[in-house]
Amino acid sequence: MREKKLRQIAIYGKGGIGKSTTTQNLTAGLTEFGKKVLVVGCDPKADSTRLLLGGLAQRTVLDTLREEGEDIDLTEVVKLGFGNTKCVESGGPEPGVGCAGRGIITSIGLLERLGAYTDDLDYVFYDVLGDVVCGGFAMPIREGKAQEIYIVASGEMMALYAANNIAKGIAKYARKGTVRLGGIICNSRNVDGELELLEAFAKELGTQLIYFVPRDNVVQRAEIRKKTVIEFESESIQANEYRALAKSIEENQLFVIPKPMTQDRLEEILFEFGLAI
Amino acid sequence: MARITEQPRFKCALGAMQTVQSIDRVVPILHSSPGCSQKLGEGIGTSGYYSSHIFPNSNLGESDVVFGGEKKLQSTIRNALRVIDADLYVVLTGCAPEIVGDDVEEIVNKFREEGYPVVVAPTPGFKGNNYLGHEWILDSLIKQYLTKTDIKTKGLVNIWADVPIQDPFWAGNYRELENLISQLGLIPNTIFGVGRGIDNLKKIPQAEFNLLVSPWIGLGNVKLLEEKFGTPYLHYKHLPIGAVETSKFLLKIGEFAKLNKELVEKVVRDNEKEYYYYLERFANSIAENRISTKRFAIVGDAQYTLAITKFLTNDLGYIPLKQYITDDTPLKHREQIKKYFKDLNDGIEAEVIFETDGYVIQESIKNDDHYDYPVIIGSFWEKSLADSIKGLFISVAWPIRDRAVINGTFVGYTGGLSLLEDILTQQYDKQLS
Repeated sequence: MREKKLRQIAIYGKGGIGKSTTTQNLTAGLTEFGKKVLVVGCDPKADSTRLLLGGLAQRTVLDTLREEGEDIDLTEVVKLGFGNTKCVESGGPEPGVGCAGRGIITSIGLLERLGAYTDDLDYVFYDVLGDVVCGGFAMPIREGKAQEIYIVASGEMMALYAANNIAKGIAKYARKGTVRLGGIICNSRNVDGELELLEAFAKELGTQLIYFVPRDNVVQRAEIRKKTVIEFESESIQANEYRALAKSIEENQLFVIPKPMTQDRLEEILFEFGLAI
Repeated sequence: MARITEQPRFKCALGAMQTVQSIDRVVPILHSSPGCSQKLGEGIGTSGYYSSHIFPNSNLGESDVVFGGEKKLQSTIRNALRVIDADLYVVLTGCAPEIVGDDVEEIVNKFREEGYPVVVAPTPGFKGNNYLGHEWILDSLIKQYLTKTDIKTKGLVNIWADVPIQDPFWAGNYRELENLISQLGLIPNTIFGVGRGIDNLKKIPQAEFNLLVSPWIGLGNVKLLEEKFGTPYLHYKHLPIGAVETSKFLLKIGEFAKLNKELVEKVVRDNEKEYYYYLERFANSIAENRISTKRFAIVGDAQYTLAITKFLTNDLGYIPLKQYITDDTPLKHREQIKKYFKDLNDGIEAEVIFETDGYVIQESIKNDDHYDYPVIIGSFWEKSLADSIKGLFISVAWPIRDRAVINGTFVGYTGGLSLLEDILTQQYDKQLS
């Protein structure tokens, strides 16, 4: 019987917006609070745990399945990273071939069967690739898995368009199940009026801007060294931003069924708050 | 490297819908592309109430693949519930919805929450053959339909043996196993065949133990039953055919269930008395035939190849050539199964080859020394091979085309005599021609 409540969280957002970077930095923050975290990469690029593990050497679940069949040991695919985070990559096909969505279904199913979700865990984070193009990529938010979703966005129009689109998919799953949107995380691109814009956007969706992560080049400097900011420059302002983001997630109480807006309404908001300044 | 498998001897996982169809008043609802299971509609005859080729299917078209098939599945299930009078509906998934990621479980759960008897088993063809599909379906029934109970009925034994319909003799086999179990004073409980259905399905958790009569198929299921309901299981490695094997079978069950030794031995004695009455009188026909060299090769799944090898060697004194197992046995079971073939009377050991390619098997039989007029036992694919090497031919495995099988069986004492009849019939036939 599980004693502590396991929070399963899925991170969605436009490709390249900073989901993996944000997830890894915030989980590093959570481990500093003493939390036990499992990060499950759900992207065929298998790059969701690079900063926690210090590199891309991780053997993916699907590669291991292909080479050895289903009788594999969990230790072959789950590796320990910074702060003792457990890291696993689903993997998937190379660009242009196969079916990555089915890959995610197979991979998460296998992790469940192998008992990856141990009783000692506080958090499981699913880092899902940007374009949720088929049913397979919604596997992390099916019943019994992620209960909370955070969408990473910025003030750029395409990022918000993508976030709104993703909210449509979330609304569908939320209406028939228990998954909820926990909030929008802004990964700043220094767009004009970005903070007000994101706050308005979140409000329109019926949710909250849970945190505004400022842009800072230390993130890139840490990334090239295969580290999170919290590991690379622990005393920096940016590291504290990520710690604060982690705290916001830890303390979040607002979970909603999102109300996606029309394209016209989105553009109205963009004009009103953001880019027309 | 790609292989061509000619002469298929099993179907894809979706073929396990035959497992569902053999449970009385239980209907499969397929969620797949159209025509997926049309070829499977042969089952136990092709007419009658919800016969094998009548079943609902969501018949996914291109736009369902592109936009998702969940709405179609929902309406298919809803309409099936309105139009089909059944006790349980088992949704089975084909390849297309499993690839595009339809959340079928969630849809079925909603129907169950509304109180409808619907369960789901994932059976996409790309994941395996119908032997595995059979296990997956049973697992789903165990997890979604059976509930824990404090009731334990003394003497109640659940019997798990062959994959129904894939094994053409499934009906007769299950009935004979029930008969043997009853003779021991136990209460047999099977879910396959007429008049059993969900009543027997619901009794499963109440059993004293599970009896698995099979080399490897079903092992996962009985282990799950033990895990979920605490029911112990006896894994008996193959169907008992003929007196030697059936007597062993009854004694083993008697020992496991801690039955009265004298009672079990009496059952064995009485049956053997009748069996050997016949065998004694036909011993001449067996021993003195001038047609067959009494060498035999079996081409079938692990169950039949093992069961018949034991019967022919231990009971009738035949000598095995190489034996062939065509069910694509999972690697983890193969070493153990090979050992069963080494455990025959008189120090005889049979070599067993795991192969699914019919051409390779038949070349192997042709090119090895088969000693003139061997007995070839297999599927209809082996008929022309048997003719070409002047062998006797008996069909036991799917596909069978040269005879009708309704509820015949080779299991047990009388079953062994049936198989002997078939062999002798072949001999007489050859003698005439």
